[in-house]
Amino acid sequence: MKGLTFFDAGCVIGDTMQGPGPDARKLLQEMDRAGVEKALVVHAGVATMPQLSNEMIANEVATAPDRLVGAWCLLPQQCPEIPPPDQLFDIMRSKGIAALTLNPTEHRYVACRLTLGHFMDAAAERKVPVLLDCFDNLWPELYAFVAEFPKNTFIFRSRWGKWGIDRQIRPLLENYVGFHFALSGYWVPEGIRDLVELYGADRLLYASGFPVFNHGNQMLQLKHSGLEPEDIAKIAGGNMERILKEAE
Amino acid sequence: MTTTSFWEEKGSLANAFWTNGIVPDCPVYDMHGHMGAHNAIYFKRCEPADVVAHLKRCGVKHLVFSHHHVLFGNMRNEKVVDICRAFPEHLRMYVGINPHYPDRIREDLARFEQWRPWAVGLKFLCDYYQVPVTAPELAYALDFANERGIPILNHTWGGSKYDGGPLMLEVAQKYPNVKFFMGHSIYRDTEYSRRVVTETAGNVWLELTAIPGDYGYIERLVKDVGSERILFGTDMPWFDEFQGIGGVLSAEITDDDKRNILYRNVERLLGKEW
Repeated sequence: MKGLTFFDAGCVIGDTMQGPGPDARKLLQEMDRAGVEKALVVHAGVATMPQLSNEMIANEVATAPDRLVGAWCLLPQQCPEIPPPDQLFDIMRSKGIAALTLNPTEHRYVACRLTLGHFMDAAAERKVPVLLDCFDNLWPELYAFVAEFPKNTFIFRSRWGKWGIDRQIRPLLENYVGFHFALSGYWVPEGIRDLVELYGADRLLYASGFPVFNHGNQMLQLKHSGLEPEDIAKIAGGNMERILKEAE
Repeated sequence: MTTTSFWEEKGSLANAFWTNGIVPDCPVYDMHGHMGAHNAIYFKRCEPADVVAHLKRCGVKHLVFSHHHVLFGNMRNEKVVDICRAFPEHLRMYVGINPHYPDRIREDLARFEQWRPWAVGLKFLCDYYQVPVTAPELAYALDFANERGIPILNHTWGGSKYDGGPLMLEVAQKYPNVKFFMGHSIYRDTEYSRRVVTETAGNVWLELTAIPGDYGYIERLVKDVGSERILFGTDMPWFDEFQGIGGVLSAEITDDDKRNILYRNVERLLGKEW
């Protein structure tokens, strides 16, 4: 989009056991329609098929490597289902995968230092972002996980909620500099500006939440948020670009 | 990316809002609002002056609201009239109806006419009161609205045993003079959001609160019932006006459809000055 570049920090694509979902082609079509340049994508099948979904999201990203980056799902380090950290990040880079995600509830483990410490420490060292949408509505678990890994770069996005979560999110933004809030479903009146005034513009990320949500609603909310143009540009896409650039 | 986004299409309504924020020839009526603090959420802007400031910066001509403290607390509707009087250009109210206080219903409705033009209609919140919309406790208010052709904004939700699709269809058929605004459009029950419009006597409108961000949902409603039967709303102060407007503008429907939703349907119902 002329004058403002949007990088969507929260999209889901791919099929699940519940039925077909949009693929990269459909996502790109919607992004073009709304004027969104790039997107960070997670595979919809992560919950039921983490290993396979890692392969599948890499295949989807490969169809538009200049516009899409993917996230891979972690599993506990004691069970060698995911390559060890000294190999994982090189493989990720070669496949257009720039972030990590997890789903401890569906994958039946406790997300903590015991299970993921090696991966999380390596991600912190390399500044590779870790997506935390698995903790949506699991606030005690989210708080505990972030507290256990205070040096990591995190991106939290509410997957379903539309009803403002300031009471839950503000303590995390206040206390963890690596905690970023992706805004899909954050529809609080002028709330984006309020968060910027409290925590700065560097910690907020435009995210559509596609295919649950459309791309455009939050674009207009951000455009007319009352923020300075440079802060709008950061939230629209600049921050996501920066996070990925910092990641090794 | 070389394509032109819908925001950038010259002459389109989306482009006008994207460029200017406020579009004078496309006023916005928010037909589903609230006021005051709420237990479940932090609101920075929930008092009248702050709400009105938000309406002004987003180009919303009128917000019709029911006060949280009437619906969930002990506040009386007459206090809400005072709030509207203090902000006559922007605020109108629904008289909150709590079926657990039958005396208050009668007292308040006896004053309804003197509360015009601030009072536009009634507000039902059956899911929260756990009283079916068809229950005898609400018959007095329904009869009152039916005799006068008054709108009732109903909280509705798919699957609810208090204000879900089948009950809303039943009550809309039974009271054909009531203008039923189906708040949240019987969310996620698209069969009944269609049926309450197509199987009634032209007295039902779907209201969009919580829907404009949902991918493809507005398109589905427009296809099912036509844009002439859809009203804009945000639950303000729950949702940002620009977010809601952005959701309508994002839908793959015509600009005429968008204008119907944002203001034309309300003006057909209530006129341009109300």
